[in-house]
Amino acid sequence: MEELDLSEKINKRIALIKDGVLSGKINLLELQLNPIFSEIKNSISIYNIENYSHSYKNAVELLNQKFEELKNLLSSLDIEKRFEDFLKTHPNDDQISNLFSGCWKKTFHFEPISMKFLDYASNRYVKERTTHFTIEHLNKEETNEQFLIEVPKYKFTEKISAFYDKIKKKLPCFFEDVFDNELDQIGIYEQFVFLLHLLQLNRIKYEKNTNTLYI
Amino acid sequence: MNEISILMYVLSRKKSIHQIGATKKEILKSLNVKNKNKSVYFQDLLTGLSKYLEPLGLQIKFNSLNSHWFISYDNELTELISANPFEGRPSLSATLLCVLTSCLKNSGYSSIQEIRTLRNKKDVNDDIKILEKEGFLEIDKKTTTIRLTPLIGYKLDLQKLFVRLALKLKE
Repeated sequence: MEELDLSEKINKRIALIKDGVLSGKINLLELQLNPIFSEIKNSISIYNIENYSHSYKNAVELLNQKFEELKNLLSSLDIEKRFEDFLKTHPNDDQISNLFSGCWKKTFHFEPISMKFLDYASNRYVKERTTHFTIEHLNKEETNEQFLIEVPKYKFTEKISAFYDKIKKKLPCFFEDVFDNELDQIGIYEQFVFLLHLLQLNRIKYEKNTNTLYI
Repeated sequence: MNEISILMYVLSRKKSIHQIGATKKEILKSLNVKNKNKSVYFQDLLTGLSKYLEPLGLQIKFNSLNSHWFISYDNELTELISANPFEGRPSLSATLLCVLTSCLKNSGYSSIQEIRTLRNKKDVNDDIKILEKEGFLEIDKKTTTIRLTPLIGYKLDLQKLFVRLALKLKE
């Protein structure tokens, strides 16, 4: 049972049926699909379930196709006579209304979609896309009040440039040497951040083996 | 403006009370398609647009009564929104079914007398007038013959209705 895997065989059989249907040799309404489903059911196990998912999908597709054919057959059988027969049973309004239940469709009709509107929307979209925004640095307001978060005196990029100008005369030098004149820990940390940015921007390079910074 | 926006426009526009969307010829004309493989191109366009519309709960449908392609809500959304144009007015559904039956029987035409008989009701004039006003049918004033408009193909899944009827008769 463990090694029984009929998925390939079932897939081939379904493929043959599909070909037969397409060539008109097989009428799905006359074909019993139960044997296929029974075969899947009887031979499926935890060892072959992965292969069987495809077989099951193919079998269900075949079943759907059969339903479609049945629907087509039903609808082609003297439909006006069927309507008449139904009306002869003198159904009341609610019974007739219930017959329509689930058969109504809703069309999509969106008033603002007109050529004029689409043209307008298209132009507007293009204009919005081409607008250039400039990002300006915030101006520091003069105030006597003390705030916890202060707007920095200089732009970050300006600070990095100033730091670079300051240390470039020293280069090449050891990594620690660039912080030589700074005693304040916050100051050292700030300069370390600048240095990381300069390394990232490739304006300064670092040689790990010799612990040297150079341009 | 691209093919999708033009297709959205032509497929969702209301030409008249009972004409929505466009025929294949109109669609190809609006996109200025003239090449040899235009049918393949047309099929590709509709398939492509369908893929965009599917996540929105919309689908492209074909009304075989007037050969128009149009956009409609999918089944799941239709269940959520009220698609029944005769909600709370079952009398109109009943009269419409009689008109449909009569038209199927008489090569597309019917008369008030015939509908009255099928409906087993003395007065169907009010229902007929409302159905005419809502675009479901047209009445020839001179001959008083009644004809269904293509609107029923947009509003009703006829295939589904036929199946439901067949099942109902089996009960």
